[in-house]
Amino acid sequence: MTNKRPSPKINADTKAFWEGCREHELRLQKCGDCGHLRHPPAFICPRCLSIRTFLVKASGRGRVYSYAVYHVAFDPSFQGDLPYVVALVVLKEGPRILTNIVGCDPAAVSCEMDVEVVWDDREEGISLPKFRPINSNHNEVRK
Amino acid sequence: MHAVGVLEAGLCSYVLLSYGHCGRSGDSMMRMLANLNAEDAVFGHFGATGGYALAARRAMHEFHTGPETWKRIAVGQRKWANLNPRAMMYDRLMTDADYDRSPWVVEPFRLADNCLLTDGGRACILTTRERARDLRHTPVTIMGLGMYNPAADPAPARHLAGPTGARRAGEMALSMAGITRDDIDACEIYDCFTYTVEITLQDYGFFGPGEGKDWLRGGTIEPGGCMPVNTSGGLLSEAYFMGLTPLTEGVMQLMGRCGERQLGPKTGNKKPEIIMCSDNGGILQTHSCYILTRG
Repeated sequence: MTNKRPSPKINADTKAFWEGCREHELRLQKCGDCGHLRHPPAFICPRCLSIRTFLVKASGRGRVYSYAVYHVAFDPSFQGDLPYVVALVVLKEGPRILTNIVGCDPAAVSCEMDVEVVWDDREEGISLPKFRPINSNHNEVRK
Repeated sequence: MHAVGVLEAGLCSYVLLSYGHCGRSGDSMMRMLANLNAEDAVFGHFGATGGYALAARRAMHEFHTGPETWKRIAVGQRKWANLNPRAMMYDRLMTDADYDRSPWVVEPFRLADNCLLTDGGRACILTTRERARDLRHTPVTIMGLGMYNPAADPAPARHLAGPTGARRAGEMALSMAGITRDDIDACEIYDCFTYTVEITLQDYGFFGPGEGKDWLRGGTIEPGGCMPVNTSGGLLSEAYFMGLTPLTEGVMQLMGRCGERQLGPKTGNKKPEIIMCSDNGGILQTHSCYILTRG
């Protein structure tokens, strides 16, 4: 496939998130007033409307809230990936993130499955946070 | 709801609600949908099918719905379309086996779970009851309205498996109309996907979470069933005109202008007095409910 893949739409709100990704850090916004953790990034806290914001590093662990298996490439650049899994992952810290589940058969994905971040480094200096199942052996090796 | 507001305020005498689009022959629908979640395109997430598929999958996890439930909706609505010469699927029958053979688009949705893309349009005129009294046709009156918009974005939306905005909007509309669900003769539900019909009827209280499969059994929503739903074939089998498909069908059923599919002796249903209709937007973030009555 020669079609170019879509790039992240980086703007003033999302710049810090994508910069973190380049360093393989999942950065979440934390409200400087009420402490609410949020994602996707936004200028203002949706809970208390404060504009004071800090960045915190997320653990990169979470569980699958829901997932969908694409069997049709709505953009030709994804044709070679079919079937692939798009998921909403609830991070351990609370916010949800839209991502892909990789490293397993799409049929093996389930809601509430434990997952961890894995970085997909793209040529253009962009890293995409994707997630893979945590299997218990992996866990032990890591700890 | 805005139309009712400007009429009540006396700012105008008539309001035309219209929708027209070359959704099938043009590419603007696909472009509009792709822009909905441009942020997510890097992950291969496009348009509405993926978003609703996420909602439907979560619903499968939470209350054990699934294709067996959605099949009853797709096949049931097709039977209505087969009575409607204007429906895109008028001469295309759908059996249970056809549904099962329908290809995956974004799993858990098959092609048969997705609405159509249509070239065409619909329109409806709103005015006050006083003015409507002098018109040639028997008018249809709005008995109740409800609107509830629980979230702005699918990622932070907490209730993809319900209750969606339909719960509160439905309660508001019933309360304004001063009726209960038992008074409803038919429903015209915004059906961008089969699951949308299930979660809307569930949140309106027609059945409990996950009980849709039993409720739909035996042709409940089909011609001759005890609660006809989407009697034109709906967005799934008639035509996609956004919220104008359910709205205009509800109005025309109550006016008695629906030909072969007209609720009454022809279809083995009661002649309708009251019809409950819905519209929703985004990935279940916004919801409108309105209840119509004849006269």
